[in-house]
Amino acid sequence: MSVKINTTINGQAVSASAEASTSLLEFLRDTLEMKGSKLCCNTGECGACTVIYNGKPINSCVTMAADANGAQITTIEGLADGDKLHPVQQAFIDTGAVQCGYCTPGYIMSVKALLDRTKKPTQADIEEAVSGNICRCTGYNKIVDAIHLAAAKL
Amino acid sequence: MEYFEPKSIGDALSLLSKHGAEAKVIAGGTDVMVDIKFKEEPGALVNIKKIPSLAGITERGGSLRIGALTTIRDIETSALVREKLPVLWDACRQFASLQVRNTATIGGNICRASPSGESLTPLLVLEANAILAFSDGERSEPFKTFFQGPGKSAAGAKGLLTEVDIPIPPAGSKGVYLKHAVRGAMDIAMVGVAVMLTPDAGKNNAQDVRIGLGAVGPTPLRAPKTEALLKGKALTAALIKEAGALAATEASPITDQRSSAENRRWIVEALTRRGLEQTWKAATGKEVA
Ligand SMILES: Cc1cc2nc3c(=O)[nH]c(=O)nc-3n(C[C@H](O)[C@H](O)[C@H](O)COP(=O)(O)OP(=O)(O)OC[C@H]3O[C@@H](n4cnc5c(N)ncnc54)[C@H](O)[C@@H]3O)c2cc1C
Ligand code: FES
Ligand code: FES
Repeated sequence: MSVKINTTINGQAVSASAEASTSLLEFLRDTLEMKGSKLCCNTGECGACTVIYNGKPINSCVTMAADANGAQITTIEGLADGDKLHPVQQAFIDTGAVQCGYCTPGYIMSVKALLDRTKKPTQADIEEAVSGNICRCTGYNKIVDAIHLAAAKL
Repeated sequence: MEYFEPKSIGDALSLLSKHGAEAKVIAGGTDVMVDIKFKEEPGALVNIKKIPSLAGITERGGSLRIGALTTIRDIETSALVREKLPVLWDACRQFASLQVRNTATIGGNICRASPSGESLTPLLVLEANAILAFSDGERSEPFKTFFQGPGKSAAGAKGLLTEVDIPIPPAGSKGVYLKHAVRGAMDIAMVGVAVMLTPDAGKNNAQDVRIGLGAVGPTPLRAPKTEALLKGKALTAALIKEAGALAATEASPITDQRSSAENRRWIVEALTRRGLEQTWKAATGKEVA
């Protein structure tokens, strides 16, 4: 059964239909052709699909697309201002926190949500914020460096 | 797959009656979406998130009432829960990841009725009740009898959990939830142990001790023999050792990909001891003699 979805993504009103079984991630990637959010485990375990839903980071792969109705969603595509990267994106580049890059959009969304919650995150805040993101290239120290750098710049 | 967004409890119950075993309730969806992607789609999906007043935490006549749609994150960040129900708070903060906690609801955790569900042993030791709605009326069911097996609960296929009613433990009572898993975050418990201890007025003895064991039986369990052993006594190292060993015999674990049954018993023993030491110290201000 198809469901009509009226939502706001990166500040823009979006209206489209999707099967009721569609996840928010499939809706973003396949219906709207927004490929920034990554499909990886598809079971909520790796965080590659993280988006910000009404101000909170969530895994879009285990969220129903239908739940986007009436919600405010921010994806990785919504962070840069034209050619100017968001400070969190720039910090990941400046510290070399990106290797293959597959986990990066998810991390950046978790960190964006963290820095929206608190301007001066503690080590514990940082660990909590990215505990649901896995990087298989395992450059975790540089990711933490990037978070500190982004926090200092914001 | 048919899809519904009922706007009231009554509408949701009629849909569940009409569609019978074909119907599946969905709340946060962190369990149901994975089932849809990797197992099978139900005939009809009933999304209960549009029903107003099913979320929220309120204090009412000596109880905390937590609505079924309240997220694990909202419980974890509630000052009221942290102060009055530390054992539940402790479990919620060790639940999955921030992303999952932002979506997962307590109602979903309870109705999934997984023996490892993080909120279940705290609810057992808090002697809480499930408030269930059926088409012929509402009923309050103690969690002691609510859980009937893996995935099986008194809500059945036609009931809706609306709230949890949790009696606030006496002031001075302390609770902890200890989780053993391979990773700190994002992992299902190999064993989870909830301990609640209420001291007597002079803080010399444990007036009441309650122990909940998770992931070591077909449902979350209490450890009644161990509790009886400890009641009314001052906790000593020897008594705590005996209690840990007894609790291990009260568990009925299985061997699966996460752990062997034997290993699970050892962990029950260790976590029970640790939980007793921590709650004794917190409740009496004394080290274990
Ligand atoms: C990556 C990942 C990690 C996880 N880690 C943990 C963990 O550490 N600890 C843990 O305990 N769980 C964990 N879970 C499991 C899951 O997140 C929890 O069980 C969660 O609380 C389910 O809530 P939900 O709202 O998402 O439920 P849903 O998926 O919407 O529903 C779960 C079940 O409950 C039923 N249901 C939901 N609400 C009601 C209601 N009000 N009345 C009647 N039936 C209802 C549904 O029909 C379904 O059978 C994890 C899941 C994922 C994907
Ligand atoms: S793809 Fe969603 S958490 Fe891994
Ligand atoms: S950079 Fe490759 S998975 Fe993280």
